Amino acid sequence: MAKLVRRNFNWLRLSSSCLLPFVVLQAMWITSEYSLVKAAEKKSGKSSSSDVLKAATNELSADHVSGGSIDEVLNQENVTRGVKTAPLPLVSDLAFIRRLSVDLIGRIPTTAEIEEFESWPEAERRTMLVDQLMSDDRFVDRWTTFYADLLRLRSNAEGGAAAIAYIHRSLADEVPYDELCRQLISKNGKAGAVPEVGFILGDGADPMAMAGVTSQVFLGIRVACAQCHDHPFDVWKREDFYGLAAFFGKTRRVENQFTNTIYTTEAGDTLVLWPPEGVGKPEERKPMEPRFPFAMLPEDHPSVVRLNARRKALAAEKAALLAQQSAEVDTDDVLDDLLADADKKVEQQTRKEGIDESLEEARTEVRKIGRTGGRNTTSEWRTELAEEITSPRNRYFSRCFVNRVWNELIGRGFVNPLDDFNQNNPPSHPQSLDYLADEFVANGYDLKTLVRMIVTSDIYQRGHTDIAEESVRNELEESFLALPHRRMNSEALYDSIVIAGHLFGVKHEAGKNMKTVWTETRVPKQPGGLNSPLLAGGDGKSMKREMAAADSEEPLPGYSLESAVELDFDALLEENPEDLVAADDEGEGVKVEQMRAMSKEEIEAERMRMQAQQNSFSYIERFVRQRIDDNPSFISSFRMASPADSEHFLRVFGQPERIQLGETRDHAPSMRQALMLLNGRLSHEAARVGELEPIFEYLVGPRKNIEKAVELAYVEVLTRKPTSQEVEEGVEIVNTADNSLNGVADLRWVLLNCNEFRFVP
Amino acid sequence: MKSCPDYRMTRRTMLGATGATLFGLQLRELLAYADTASQTKAEHVILFWNGGGMTHLDTWDPKPGRPTQGEFNPIDTSVPGIQISEIFPQLAQQMHHCALVRSIAGTQGDHGRGTYNVQTSYQMTPNLIHPGFGSVVVHEKDKMSELPSFVSISGRAPRASYLGQTCEAYFVGAPGEKDPYLAFPEGITQVRGNSRLEVLERFNQRYSQKNPGESNVATKTAIGDAVKLMRSPALSAFELDKVPTTMLNRYGDNTFGRGVMLAKQLVETGVRFVQVNRGGFDTHSANFPAMQAHGDVMDPALASLVEDLAESGLLKKTLIVMLSEFGRTPMINEDAGRDHWANVFSCFIAGGGITGGTVIGSSDEDGYEPKDRPVQVADLHATFCQTLGIDPAKEVMTPLRRPMKLVDNGTPIAELFA
Repeated sequence: MAKLVRRNFNWLRLSSSCLLPFVVLQAMWITSEYSLVKAAEKKSGKSSSSDVLKAATNELSADHVSGGSIDEVLNQENVTRGVKTAPLPLVSDLAFIRRLSVDLIGRIPTTAEIEEFESWPEAERRTMLVDQLMSDDRFVDRWTTFYADLLRLRSNAEGGAAAIAYIHRSLADEVPYDELCRQLISKNGKAGAVPEVGFILGDGADPMAMAGVTSQVFLGIRVACAQCHDHPFDVWKREDFYGLAAFFGKTRRVENQFTNTIYTTEAGDTLVLWPPEGVGKPEERKPMEPRFPFAMLPEDHPSVVRLNARRKALAAEKAALLAQQSAEVDTDDVLDDLLADADKKVEQQTRKEGIDESLEEARTEVRKIGRTGGRNTTSEWRTELAEEITSPRNRYFSRCFVNRVWNELIGRGFVNPLDDFNQNNPPSHPQSLDYLADEFVANGYDLKTLVRMIVTSDIYQRGHTDIAEESVRNELEESFLALPHRRMNSEALYDSIVIAGHLFGVKHEAGKNMKTVWTETRVPKQPGGLNSPLLAGGDGKSMKREMAAADSEEPLPGYSLESAVELDFDALLEENPEDLVAADDEGEGVKVEQMRAMSKEEIEAERMRMQAQQNSFSYIERFVRQRIDDNPSFISSFRMASPADSEHFLRVFGQPERIQLGETRDHAPSMRQALMLLNGRLSHEAARVGELEPIFEYLVGPRKNIEKAVELAYVEVLTRKPTSQEVEEGVEIVNTADNSLNGVADLRWVLLNCNEFRFVP
Repeated sequence: MKSCPDYRMTRRTMLGATGATLFGLQLRELLAYADTASQTKAEHVILFWNGGGMTHLDTWDPKPGRPTQGEFNPIDTSVPGIQISEIFPQLAQQMHHCALVRSIAGTQGDHGRGTYNVQTSYQMTPNLIHPGFGSVVVHEKDKMSELPSFVSISGRAPRASYLGQTCEAYFVGAPGEKDPYLAFPEGITQVRGNSRLEVLERFNQRYSQKNPGESNVATKTAIGDAVKLMRSPALSAFELDKVPTTMLNRYGDNTFGRGVMLAKQLVETGVRFVQVNRGGFDTHSANFPAMQAHGDVMDPALASLVEDLAESGLLKKTLIVMLSEFGRTPMINEDAGRDHWANVFSCFIAGGGITGGTVIGSSDEDGYEPKDRPVQVADLHATFCQTLGIDPAKEVMTPLRRPMKLVDNGTPIAELFA
């Protein structure tokens, strides 16, 4: 308390000495005591009232709070806000392991994991679990999805799959967030071969689109409106937007129709002109100078100082390590090793294939060229933009990301919508937000440090309120004294059903589930007639099942909406040496490709040749009777091509389409969702009992014990022991079924479908 | 950039428009509107989506005696003076219920962009998705039955996007085929399934008591709706097994014929919007045999639909539209095919209270460019909205809180409401 008073006093003194010519109405959204330097001012030498406002927006809270914890900072803020209600107690160990597993590795825990957790010393088990889950491979899978949502990466877009794989590898390698963003913003090259370009290709590398995207995605500032007019309710002017777009002005998306490759490169001139089209005379339009309109913190801001110190220490450490190694070996070898290290998986694979060392060296060399880049693989202007965006002095950058991660784990952001930081939408807890943002910066933009800070806090471990009265509930949740209810996201829900139902592997004995199914296959037949593939959907009864047949990866047709293609992240990042040679070549970028391009006539000839080939095949549809062992297993949804097909389980439960800017996961329940879980194959198979799963021995044979079976079902599906009434009820459900296997299937089906399952405890 | 509304501009233009109307400058239109307002509005839409870009010359806009005519002759229809291609002999006899727009001035000759434009009225933009027409209709019109309001047959409909999940299409893969998600899984009897549902309700009720909040209530409603639909007698509208063989043969016992049959049943049961998809119109080669085959399938189905709905009286309340992303080149290429052509193309409309036997606009003598009364894609959407009593200029919010009109600034084609 004493500490708090001192801080407040401190703040009063500082803010009263700060005579800024405006008043910010929100009491807690305090103006700055720092004198701010605006990047734009340095360049243009102009300053307007809107600039001052922008400067203020960048400095939301008065104090840099260091030390302490997010719990302390937030508690103090709540006291200042006049919140008097007591927080909810921390949740039980079992609720904690369920919550943390869902949040960190995207699925509920297994019985074995629960038992291990409970065997740890009570005082330490929660932090031990945090460490364990953070080093799990699934942590990388689950958070790759978080990044893919944030960056709107689509595996079916140009270079999108490689970009997702790149994020996956970067997370596995613990690449700092700022470094990752710099690569995504600045890189040029061929889609897929240079995985980073998938990010800008997602929006066709269009300067106007990218201005809106970079500001909103990385900084949480919505300037897109300012493309056509000054922002209606914020300070952004149309010129700010154009200045931002100008960073992308020289970047071009190029498509080689014949080789079917797409890449980005830098042109000599810019596409972004000022004044905008339709304003003033065309001949007056001049190339727009890139201009970063957002305010920066001073160099001596504590978080910046701490980050710089940390970076210096890390660099020294690395240099010492290098020096030590170079005493033993040649420096060039060390560098090669480092490069090879970055791609150890490819290396391992090629070794397996017995490719000799010299070829491997050559590949490493080529890779080095591709990775480090000729002058043209990165854009000069975009590199500058990337530096501005990711600068530790740019608070928007860290705040925006921290706010998203906080929301992901707590269920509510400090700023909502998550990507709408503006004067009229102040954060609920500016000091807490800035505390986390500064810690994030000072700790080198490390995701795991940030996540650890949040999940080890008391705030994260609090329960939900059972008070029905909305105003009370809202106050508790707005103050983070109680956690809002949130449903597992679609991928976590899917994987949790799979793990609860023992479906990552097979659970039935071979041959126990033989079934006869009729599937339809297309058999090519000789040229002729109107049955050409051009007329897909044409007449004839045989075409009836076309849709189902086309999708059938699954043994049972009709349920394809619950399975999907798995992405092979490693294969996606395997490099084709040719790509990289083409991408270098003395700064000439992808010229080689351009030279290989065909004339229009040649392309047309090629197209016609292909068409003719296509026409010479037609298909007949045949129903084929098959005996199959219906013993399904499912893959993790975090590894599926994403976003999934529009009717797919994952999409129905809110996986975003990742096209629209500002789209968030829709967690609203729908009839489709209900149908999917009530009648879908996944929940049905998960509920069915297999001979190979642990519950089986409690249902058949000498160890039969229905009570134990019910208990196990609860632990496996809901991560808790049933109450005595629930045991009684469960036993009754099992006993009233025609056999105990069906009875447990009924019980588990209910548990998988109930709200308790899908909401995070 | 065109689709980004300028706030001040919007307000100013809106004021201007209101003023003009008040001073009687648009009196004719005003009267026309008052006229149509008193009429009964359309309640349903059946949209036929012909993917690939259907040739306008070999269907609705024949060019007899011109080098671009191709292999088909025009035939007379039930409306004197209107001719269409010979591939639609039965439909020609229903022309008095139908209208053709022959002067659509498209702008997009690429499948993706063209489809987007024709299905949404907007041009494709990098980071915003506009909802399709079906979603717009179900957003504006209440649900009429236990069935989903928007059904898409034999292919996907565009996304509802910012209109929300409730405006998404319900997807039927193959007409007549059972949706596995509408019945209990294989091996689960009705009795067993129903008792599972009862237990589930008990469990959820207990949970809700301990965990109050909107999300629980909403989940309960979703399950309730799902079960209602599973048990609904209206579901039989999705089945075709009870359709008499003679009837099915009249529509054509093929995917399209069954799709049209299904669309009719759904509309009769209260579904607002049915989209029937069909591909295979991208006839870069062998255009004529392909179009003859299309005609053989489409003609009996469409003609029977118009005839049957007219007879039952439902045609007045059901707008039938056939659209494609663009037309095809008037010149015939070396492979006896036609390539993409967006400069001018046609569309077919019937029912929904429009004036039958009407032809709007024309293309030039060879079918290259619009000649009379060019119609923009957005004008078509505005026209469809008018038949349904939907205000095309109504604004809805995008995720960025940017107001978007339901239709991208089109004007209804007044002649269709004469």
